Amino acid sequence: MKSAFKVLQEQIQYFYLVRRLSIYELRSMASGNYLGMAWEIINPAIQITIYWFVFGFGIRERQPVGDIPYLQWMFAGILAWFFITQGVMKGTKSIYSKIKMLAKMNFPMSVIPSYVIFAQFYPHLILLALGTIFLQFIGYPISIYYLQLPLYIIGLLAFLFSLTLITSTLATIVRDVQMLLQSVMRMLLYLSPILWPPTLLPENWQPYMKLNPFYYIIEGYRYSLLGEGWYFLENPIYTLYFCGIVLITFLIGAYLHVKFRSQFIDFL
Amino acid sequence: MPNSVEVRNVSKRYKLYKKSSERLLDLLIPHKEYGEAFFALQDVSFDVEEGSIVGLVGINGSGKSTLANIIAGVIPATSGEVKSNGNISLIAVNAGLDNKLTGRENIELKLLMLGFSKTEINAMEEEIIEFAELEKFIDQPVKTYSSGMKSRLGFSISVRVNPDILIIDEALSVGDKAFAEKSLNKMMEFKEQGKTMFFVSHSISQMKKFCEKILWLEFGVVKEYGPASEVLSHYEEFLEEFKNMSKKEKKKYRQNALDRQSKIAAKP
Repeated sequence: MKSAFKVLQEQIQYFYLVRRLSIYELRSMASGNYLGMAWEIINPAIQITIYWFVFGFGIRERQPVGDIPYLQWMFAGILAWFFITQGVMKGTKSIYSKIKMLAKMNFPMSVIPSYVIFAQFYPHLILLALGTIFLQFIGYPISIYYLQLPLYIIGLLAFLFSLTLITSTLATIVRDVQMLLQSVMRMLLYLSPILWPPTLLPENWQPYMKLNPFYYIIEGYRYSLLGEGWYFLENPIYTLYFCGIVLITFLIGAYLHVKFRSQFIDFL
Repeated sequence: MPNSVEVRNVSKRYKLYKKSSERLLDLLIPHKEYGEAFFALQDVSFDVEEGSIVGLVGINGSGKSTLANIIAGVIPATSGEVKSNGNISLIAVNAGLDNKLTGRENIELKLLMLGFSKTEINAMEEEIIEFAELEKFIDQPVKTYSSGMKSRLGFSISVRVNPDILIIDEALSVGDKAFAEKSLNKMMEFKEQGKTMFFVSHSISQMKKFCEKILWLEFGVVKEYGPASEVLSHYEEFLEEFKNMSKKEKKKYRQNALDRQSKIAAKP
């Protein structure tokens, strides 16, 4: 509990550091290839096209999901997913790849995963903006339901930070965690409602799919972008479940992080 | 004169594992010891008065750099404590720089992490660039730099930060003669300002010119600590003796020390 307050206090006190460090992280990411940041758009665009082709045209034979055409349905969900995978993977790597640079024990280390996640957040916002423009032209204009989007964005940021507090600590101690996580994320792509609707599964399987907190976020994004309704109000228990998961993850993450932070440098 | 740095019973223990499974077991099973303990530093204590310049000498593997890093607060000590008044800056050859960013961006990043504000950084930047003599390379990515350029950059940043206590770890032996001269002048300037400095170097002539006190480390323990001329002459005698030892004797000497370094592990 004490460690949770400590981490929280660091986040607030050093928020300017998070903001500014994330800019350098962005620059570092973009340097080295000619198109730089443009890849943050090109890459997702290529992936969306190929998924649309394989799943939309091929496997689903142009069947809509409910009354939403497949492309629009998949598009709204996958926008969140790009940020999720990048955030989890880069956040997990953050401590052991950055600590050499930042090393000084009195540096507020909990800032490391958060600035790395933040660096991924800017391209996400740009992608989201471009995505909403795209949706205007394919039949899903901006609606009142967009108002709930910030809730899911904040929820996602909170969950990513809490999760990477755990994974970045574990990955620094045992490097294999990074590899394991890579496989888990690939699995989750297919186990979250992104490429196919889990409603195709038998009724009694549904609750288990929903244990995955990313399910909540992805559906939330979809409800907002496609104007399907107020997701968090229509599923109050699920909303509570998500908040509970974030809280528990954060408490565990903060505990682990504070417990091991002074020894991080010895694990390199 | 008040003490500027007090080192009290500092030990640093590392673990040597024969295979990676041992390392994992050591982490997971709390009450059992796996792997072999190794003391890089053993019960090191000494005081440094404000404004004095201390040289750390010893043959390879004697723990000079470990001690320098512990005093600088980069790595934690296993036991014991280091008290210091004033902020400490460590200048090492491999100062953490981000290879993908330019020299200028690295300066900004480093200063940012040391807690300087935007205006302060802008004010310091030009001076650092000038001191580092990087000219047009300053806007090139650091990965294109030669090792001399990198250490010049690192050195210039650490010097400009104007710390109260400076630790120089072999950093003066890089770069060409002209730059070494310039750095030495800078050190002299600091000396006149009454800053406390630590010097890690293999160059005895540099030590003679510069240091007032010498701490002689041998395989992790303090062999001698006292006025420079006295300790240095003893050290030189020892070096001569050591050089003349046969291969076998050298090996035996090292083995004795190594045994001593891991023996303490037996008693808790």
